[in-house]
Amino acid sequence: MNLSNLKNADAKEVAKLLNSSGREAFVQRFATLGLPHKKTEEYHYFDVDKILNKEYKTLEYVPKTIAEGDKVKIVDGIVVTAPQGLRINYETCKQLDIMHFDPLYFVGHLLSHRIIKIEIDGDTDIEIEHHFTKSDTLIHYRIVLSTQANRHATVHESFVSKDISNTLVLYGYDIHVAQDSTLRLVKLQTMKDAQYSMVASHKINVARNAHMMLKSFDFGGDQALQLLKVELAEHAHIDAGHLLYLNEDSKRGTVSQIIHQGEYSTSKQEAKNILDGQARGIFDALIRVEHSAKFTKAEQNAKSILLHEKAYMVSKPQLEIYIDELEASHGATTGQLDEKQLFYLQSRGISHLEARKILVIAFANTLIEQVKDTRAQERIKTAFEEVFYASNTNEG
Amino acid sequence: MSTTMKIENLQAKIGDKQILKGLNLELEPGKVHAIMGPNGAGKSTLSKAIVGHYDIEILGGDITYKGKSILEMEAEERALEGVFLSFQHPVEIPGVNNAYFLRTALNAKLKHEGKDELNAAEFLREMKKHLEMLGMKSDMISRSLNEGFSGGEKKRNEILQMLILEPEVIILDEIDSGLDIDALRAVSEGINKMKDGKRTFLVITHYSRILDYIEPDYIHVLKDGKVIKTAGPELVPYLEEHGYDGIEED
Repeated sequence: MNLSNLKNADAKEVAKLLNSSGREAFVQRFATLGLPHKKTEEYHYFDVDKILNKEYKTLEYVPKTIAEGDKVKIVDGIVVTAPQGLRINYETCKQLDIMHFDPLYFVGHLLSHRIIKIEIDGDTDIEIEHHFTKSDTLIHYRIVLSTQANRHATVHESFVSKDISNTLVLYGYDIHVAQDSTLRLVKLQTMKDAQYSMVASHKINVARNAHMMLKSFDFGGDQALQLLKVELAEHAHIDAGHLLYLNEDSKRGTVSQIIHQGEYSTSKQEAKNILDGQARGIFDALIRVEHSAKFTKAEQNAKSILLHEKAYMVSKPQLEIYIDELEASHGATTGQLDEKQLFYLQSRGISHLEARKILVIAFANTLIEQVKDTRAQERIKTAFEEVFYASNTNEG
Repeated sequence: MSTTMKIENLQAKIGDKQILKGLNLELEPGKVHAIMGPNGAGKSTLSKAIVGHYDIEILGGDITYKGKSILEMEAEERALEGVFLSFQHPVEIPGVNNAYFLRTALNAKLKHEGKDELNAAEFLREMKKHLEMLGMKSDMISRSLNEGFSGGEKKRNEILQMLILEPEVIILDEIDSGLDIDALRAVSEGINKMKDGKRTFLVITHYSRILDYIEPDYIHVLKDGKVIKTAGPELVPYLEEHGYDGIEED
């Protein structure tokens, strides 16, 4: 399959190419948005043409019997193991967001005729591990994740790949955080080698009085973009944090829209980006406060450190506000390591290289330490230090 | 007179402005040298020049320490050789645990000296006694380095570093500024603990208050980028009474 065939295709052609009869509204929406290209705003800083203009192998998605395991293990889009008692089904997606801003959200859905539905019905911790084993392949799947009212759950997400190349992963969540419930999603992505590209397109609904915490830690290579659309109901809250560490010529980041729809909804979004080599980081984030969302609070901040003169950060924090009764702030800074802090450490006998490492790790830790689970926190710290130390063994 | 550090005809600038204009100073081992002088005389610039601060451009002259020029040495090399500056305004570093920082600095020094590094438990035992003496709360070592510390806490933390690193030449840049009387006493006690007849102190101050606690051996008056007078501690009351204008160049 070559996704570039969808370029300029009308609804009829899209339905035929994606074999998606019966889903006319979604097809029509995609046809209206069009296949993203380098001039599409959300993909403007991402090399989307490079990953779409390729011939990929496709897979047959045949559900297997799910074996009992300590985690939800998804191999090339098929659930292989799951903890006992966790309800997982394959079914047709009925709750697709017809107004999502991301064209590839629709492509992912239209390609994935059946979604993986995970229902969290208790106060629990779940680990979801995505495995990718195929080269030169388009791997696509969608997951619907929902909590029950008054429940508090944590999902730890990680990614594993081995000896693959030139694969595109198109996946994402449709998350429903039920009234008065809490969902914490901690996403850790490390790829030591450039093995696959990824577009992760999510939709998150946070119901009345519900809380969503989303912390993404991306220390990967090559190309990946996470696109988030979050809708907040009355008194709903999201705490989103994104830590990005990039090196070499990787291009990765976050494009997000947080939409306050209900009164007294609150959002906090913080991005910390560390870029080395010729990497390009992306943080293109909009918070929109609609007419219905009086007395909301919205806070957005992006801080970036460039460790190399050729590293480049695109920071676009944006507020779109339609009411007066709210508190909102946003800001972005991009710079190098603080000279005063570096000197202070060196003046105590700590080498320049070590001082640099200490400051970068400290910068990252302020976000990592927001993950309250100490085991998860240690795992993320270790992952970051491994990736960072591996690329900072010598004075640059 | 034997000399630990010798500063000869030092000329230095910050940005476009020349601050030090041929400064000469010899630091005697085991002695406390106080540098006094009006605002803008170059006191802090001198301290920065000694530790190799990036703001300073050396235009001429030399600084020798234990008989070797240190001007070409990086800041960390000077520190490892035993030169320590207690900063006037210590920086805050969020995310860097104070204890981790202190242990990293101490282990860098031990490694430089070919000694075994300390593990966390050994280090904490070593540090506990210093904390008590300085009247520091134990949680200050588990907090981020200087983050949210009061002015007094920052200065105590500087002295804690000095006690742990045991440097040979100790420069105290306005250690007394912003300290209340209790903090001044605790900081002075820490400094006096280090006075063992071998370490050399260079105390930079505007006021004589700190000198009541740390008895200086020499007073050097710095004016317009040069040391214009060197005398014994008897000069302090004279300066208190007459100010710097009445001082004549030696």
